[in-house]
Amino acid sequence: MQLFFQLVVDGLASGAIYASLALALVLIFRATRIVNFGQGEMATFSAYCAWQLCEWGMPMTPSFLVVGALAFLLGIGVFRFVIRPVSKAPVEAVVVVTLGLFVVFQALSLWLWGSDQRAFPSMFPNVGWDLLGVRVTASAVGIVGVLLGLAVATGAIFRFTRLGLAMRASAYDGEKSLLVGIPVERMLMLGWGFAAVIGFVAAVLVGPRLFLSPTMMMPILLYALASATLGGWDSPLGAMIGGLIVGVAESLGATFLPFIGADLRVVIPILVTLLVLLVRPVGLFGTRTVVKL
Amino acid sequence: MTMLQVRGLSAGYGAADVLHGVDFSVEQGTIVALLGSNGAGKTTTLRALSGLIPARGTIEFCGSDLNRRNAAQRVVLGLAHIPQGRGTFGDFTVEENLAAGAYTIGDKRQVAADIERWYAAFPRLAERRRQQAGSLSGGEQQMLALARALMSRPKLLMCDEPSLGLAPAITEEIFEIFKSLNREHGMTLLIVEQNADLTLQFADTAHVLESGSFTASGAARDLLGSEAVQQSYLGV
Amino acid sequence: MSTWNLRYAPASLAAVFALGLPAFAPDFMLFEFSIAVSYGIAILGLNLLLGVTGQICLAQGALFGVGAYTTAILNVSFGWDPVATLPFAAIVAGLIGVVVGLPALRLQGLQLAIITFGVASAFPQLLLKMDTLTGGVTGLATDQPMAPKWFPGSQEVWLYGLSLICAAISIVVVTRLLRGDTGRMLRALRDNPVIAEALGVNLTKGRLAAFAVSSALAGLGGGLFCILNGFISPQSFLPMKSIDILIGGIVGGITSIAGAFIGAVFVVFVPGFTTDIDPALGGLIYGLCLIAMMMVARQGIAGLRIEGLQKAVLGIFRIKGLSRIPGSVPGQLGGE
Repeated sequence: MQLFFQLVVDGLASGAIYASLALALVLIFRATRIVNFGQGEMATFSAYCAWQLCEWGMPMTPSFLVVGALAFLLGIGVFRFVIRPVSKAPVEAVVVVTLGLFVVFQALSLWLWGSDQRAFPSMFPNVGWDLLGVRVTASAVGIVGVLLGLAVATGAIFRFTRLGLAMRASAYDGEKSLLVGIPVERMLMLGWGFAAVIGFVAAVLVGPRLFLSPTMMMPILLYALASATLGGWDSPLGAMIGGLIVGVAESLGATFLPFIGADLRVVIPILVTLLVLLVRPVGLFGTRTVVKL
Repeated sequence: MTMLQVRGLSAGYGAADVLHGVDFSVEQGTIVALLGSNGAGKTTTLRALSGLIPARGTIEFCGSDLNRRNAAQRVVLGLAHIPQGRGTFGDFTVEENLAAGAYTIGDKRQVAADIERWYAAFPRLAERRRQQAGSLSGGEQQMLALARALMSRPKLLMCDEPSLGLAPAITEEIFEIFKSLNREHGMTLLIVEQNADLTLQFADTAHVLESGSFTASGAARDLLGSEAVQQSYLGV
Repeated sequence: MSTWNLRYAPASLAAVFALGLPAFAPDFMLFEFSIAVSYGIAILGLNLLLGVTGQICLAQGALFGVGAYTTAILNVSFGWDPVATLPFAAIVAGLIGVVVGLPALRLQGLQLAIITFGVASAFPQLLLKMDTLTGGVTGLATDQPMAPKWFPGSQEVWLYGLSLICAAISIVVVTRLLRGDTGRMLRALRDNPVIAEALGVNLTKGRLAAFAVSSALAGLGGGLFCILNGFISPQSFLPMKSIDILIGGIVGGITSIAGAFIGAVFVVFVPGFTTDIDPALGGLIYGLCLIAMMMVARQGIAGLRIEGLQKAVLGIFRIKGLSRIPGSVPGQLGGE
């Protein structure tokens, strides 16, 4: 039983990371009906920038804040200069464009910083506590805490602010939003900006656990895609809960399902997602079926 | 005073024009009706005016050239457009719909006051303020769409087929609301309708559209029962 | 549905190019082209699935791997002639493809894409796990079919010829499928499944059949790849392979047969070219190429017509933004 709870705690921590990247993906999907396959690599690139600032001697907190702002601009820039020009193109073309973003940002990180792994500073102290035989580290608590913070912040922005209302409206129906005077395109741009910041947060959480490398976020992206699918692509809450489910399922499955084990753990999120989708094709919290490609 | 002056307005979708150079004007404080059968270009006119589709020709609204403004900026200038099929955000609550309608108004207190004002005018909306707009009846949704449009404090209210899908009694109720907005608040209205008889009873001026051009224009009471109107509907 | 009409111009150009190639291309290049043809066959399968029936499979790289491993295992463990294994590579991949396609009976679009991509991600791990059969990390080395003595050309030309024969067979299969009732049924799966079902099309059978054919083509391509390369390992079938195949399909034009091979040439050669330009910046240039490609040729290269090309060139100078965002926001991966 102790092992079980230990695995749940570990799973929640990694699940929170999947959840934050999934949140970024879902925010963009809701606003623009695009899955940004480059999200993880954009996040890695931002994490490298933060690492570089720390290397140059800037303290961690300000450098994270500076890069957070940069990530926001990056998201806006990508929307303005890459996504907007193809916004009327067929779905398939846009898929290739976001895959192109994936390639571009991975190559950019590789070019600027090489393929060596770098130690990424952790925001959390290296301590832990023993709760009834289950070891809970400060980093696990911190990661889940950051996710909760993100959840509350996005929820509050969407629910209680004029900006959030306008962003929701733009995502729901662009034409009606224009008719009430909402500058829809600017809202979509902001959506991409926010998503890029959330992606960066995910990368900051992953960094200390995996070491920084240009391909760091690739496996995370798959888990995040599964989480978003499991939770429902039009539900930010679903994406976050989906992430936690995937994290816990992965951690438990890798230990308790002998035929899967550690080397095949990658199939677990897919199996869980498949099971959920077979019962509810739109995902746990999804409302609309995603029909085309 | 002329509020809206349209000259040579052409617009359409893709390569083909639906609207072939229409001219008309809307005087302040009047109700103007655009009549015509399906596909005559009524909705296209409104969409061109509110900037949802590109248009050629000149559109002058309260002294500014609308061609230089995008759709969102036109709302700020005082143009409100209630699209066909209500145009409420189905996922949002009634109150959120009203708040979204006031997006262009910066003053929070004014927004709160306006929300209360329209709740007072439409008590049925007040009762349902926490309900999702999608769950309202057709008439209630039309009222919500109207209230939401009014939240932006428009000078000119454009309404596309308000009667669509509504029972005759409810339609009449909506038109009564238009009339009282016009009389009591001096609101200027541009109404697009297929229901010519009802609309002509309420409007001051009317234009009949057929295949993208006007076939008749004049005072509403002169057009009531006129041959031109009949023909445009019978497609003779 | 003029979209899948054989676009004769690019098709005949491609055919002339393919047949004339050995006359002027050096052997090493011919080898690369043979590899491109093997990918092209897999892409052709994906085009049939995605472009015609509107279903997505991001496990095409894994099915390509299934074909390759079938060929390798039959050759290494059972001593079969490599060329004789090719039909079995197609059959095995086709059968596994039906299993992979089972979720498609209930899922479509994005959900199906993610699930099938999961299969692609698990595939290399699975190969490692079954190391008694697959040789694990060390992979398998296969015999190459040698050019007979009477053949005037080099070994590379011989293998290139083999690739073209495989491609020709695949093209014949696909064009035959797209004719007549079968073709109409397949297209109905994409355009309007509900009406198709009401008209008596068996959706289950249709969808699975599409998956089977598409996967069989991937398997054939994979088997051919194994023969050409002479060696395979799990490293050759990473999940990115499926993505490359998808990119090849879309860049070439998913509704076109010629497009499949044009796209394959693109994904095989362009990353190499960009690396030649600058080794460090190669990936960056390739990524930018992809993005630029899609801004210019939205329907893929095969979708470009002469007038389209003209428009595209003009478009570079004046990229139009969103003048109208509303409705279904364009460029959507999914919709309402």
